[in-house]
Amino acid sequence: MSLTAKKPLGVRILYGFWDFLKKYGLTILAIVLLVLIWQIVVDGFHIKKYVLPSPKLVFNSLFGPQAAKNHWWKHIRTTVLEVFGSFALVLVLGVSLAVLISWNRWLNRLLMPVLVLFNSIPKIALAPLFLLWLGYGVKTNIWISFFVAFFPVVINATTGMMSVDDDLLDLVKYLDAKKYQVFLKVRIPASLPYIFSGIKICATSCVVGSIVGEFCAAKSGLGYLMRDAQAFIDMPTMFACLFLLAVIGMSFFGTISILEKVCMPWKRSRRED
Amino acid sequence: MSEKDVLLSIKDLRKVYKTRDGELEAIGKVTFDVKDQEFVSIVGPSGCGKSTLLRIVAGLLEKTEGEIIVDKTKFNPDKEVGFVFQKALLLDWRKVIDNVLLPIEILKLDKRKYVDRAMELLEMVGLKGFENRYPNELSGGMQQRVSIARALIHDPKLILMDEPFGALDAITREKMNLELMRIWSESKKTVLFITHEIAEAVFLSDRVIVLSARPSRQVGSFDIDLPRPRGIDLKTTPEFNKYVIDVYKTLEVQ
Ligand SMILES: Nc1ncnc2c1ncn2[C@@H]1O[C@H](COP(=O)(O)OP(=O)(O)OP(=O)(O)O)[C@@H](O)[C@H]1O
Ligand SMILES: [Mg+2]
Repeated sequence: MSLTAKKPLGVRILYGFWDFLKKYGLTILAIVLLVLIWQIVVDGFHIKKYVLPSPKLVFNSLFGPQAAKNHWWKHIRTTVLEVFGSFALVLVLGVSLAVLISWNRWLNRLLMPVLVLFNSIPKIALAPLFLLWLGYGVKTNIWISFFVAFFPVVINATTGMMSVDDDLLDLVKYLDAKKYQVFLKVRIPASLPYIFSGIKICATSCVVGSIVGEFCAAKSGLGYLMRDAQAFIDMPTMFACLFLLAVIGMSFFGTISILEKVCMPWKRSRRED
Repeated sequence: MSEKDVLLSIKDLRKVYKTRDGELEAIGKVTFDVKDQEFVSIVGPSGCGKSTLLRIVAGLLEKTEGEIIVDKTKFNPDKEVGFVFQKALLLDWRKVIDNVLLPIEILKLDKRKYVDRAMELLEMVGLKGFENRYPNELSGGMQQRVSIARALIHDPKLILMDEPFGALDAITREKMNLELMRIWSESKKTVLFITHEIAEAVFLSDRVIVLSARPSRQVGSFDIDLPRPRGIDLKTTPEFNKYVIDVYKTLEVQ
């Protein structure tokens, strides 16, 4: 590869997948083993299906002849929509808030205590309030999920923007850079690694937030389906929901890891060739 | 040269840093003029406030006392200054070419018009073919050369250089000296140059200013009356070496 050749996006994404495999290959193997042992234990000890369903039953509830009655796709769609919606909201509002907080001393002193105070409430406890305010539905759950998840992103992004080396700021300041330029050209890009580590924490919180919202009140979503199944002691469906949530969470996390590689190519450029 | 030609005038400049353990007087009292199209070097012991002086001139630091007068009819001190910092200070997330073009973006000039110039500057500093690399793929000396290209991209009138060649090997340094002299003489720029190398200062400059240890005062100012254009051969002449020894002795007395 020549010195100047730019790596096409496809190649970069492939690298991302390879990294994903290297990182999570063993994990996947462990899960497969766990499922096998689970099946053997349930069969061997004749455990009742309303105590612990076997993986086979869970599989059947997802893909068997009876699967259609659960309307899986509808529920999956709702939950995924909520997870991604809240994630997008966290990203946009979280980074904007971080910019505000690090804009100047006064805004920092004004906003930081409010934020810290707010963070000390268990945010899941806000869910019933949101239901009263916004009614139930996807939008409400997105907001609940947003509040559950946004704190680490704001804190990390703020830390990133405030810890930029003074010398780097001088580099643009001597050219009389406007403050917005300082943020656009230096502070925000410099905080990308911080933002991504915040986002990784928030990825799981987004799923938690969405499910809590669906538990409280909803017309669809995997959380809703779980509660519904609970009423009928339909253990296989409940476990299937759990499984799907795990899959959603993991693919979400994987997407973020790939996004990280794509957004910060300089982080891996040394290893590339 | 007459008063009219003065581009930058530093009068009784004093700088006191306020630190946790009290005050630290970095610059005692420094006074000198830099004329239009002049090449002025500043030499002085480490820690005497050379970087501080340059940062004050660039408007990055408040002075404690004294005056800095800039002839605004000759250039715009906000936009027509180029600064090569002592550290390379490249932005990790930008490719080499985009690092070079940073001043163009900050000054909101049309970037497309400067791409060719950026490539030429990179070639001049010996980094042709590295334009799409990221800074962490370059050596320290290469990074410093990128920062030199960056300081020149917007064609500044006044160039401030803080030990720009400190990280380079002797041969590259020699080459960069010649290139700098070529740029300076071709494009009628004014240079304020900081270095530890006395021979480098004499070789490049019209005038060498010698500062004492902290708190720094001006202890000498040498007009270098050597013919231009100057080549490497000059360094073997007795006139050249006389200047070097004079500057050296002034420094050593401190
Ligand atoms: N931000 C600062 N706060 C307090 N003291 C400082 C600061 N910057 C520099 N100093 C002090 O001021 C003095 C002059 O520093 P400066 O960096 O200007 O020296 P210098 O002449 O450039 O040295 P060198 O040749 O080693 O680069 C030093 O004693 C240093 O400790
Ligand atoms: Mg210095």
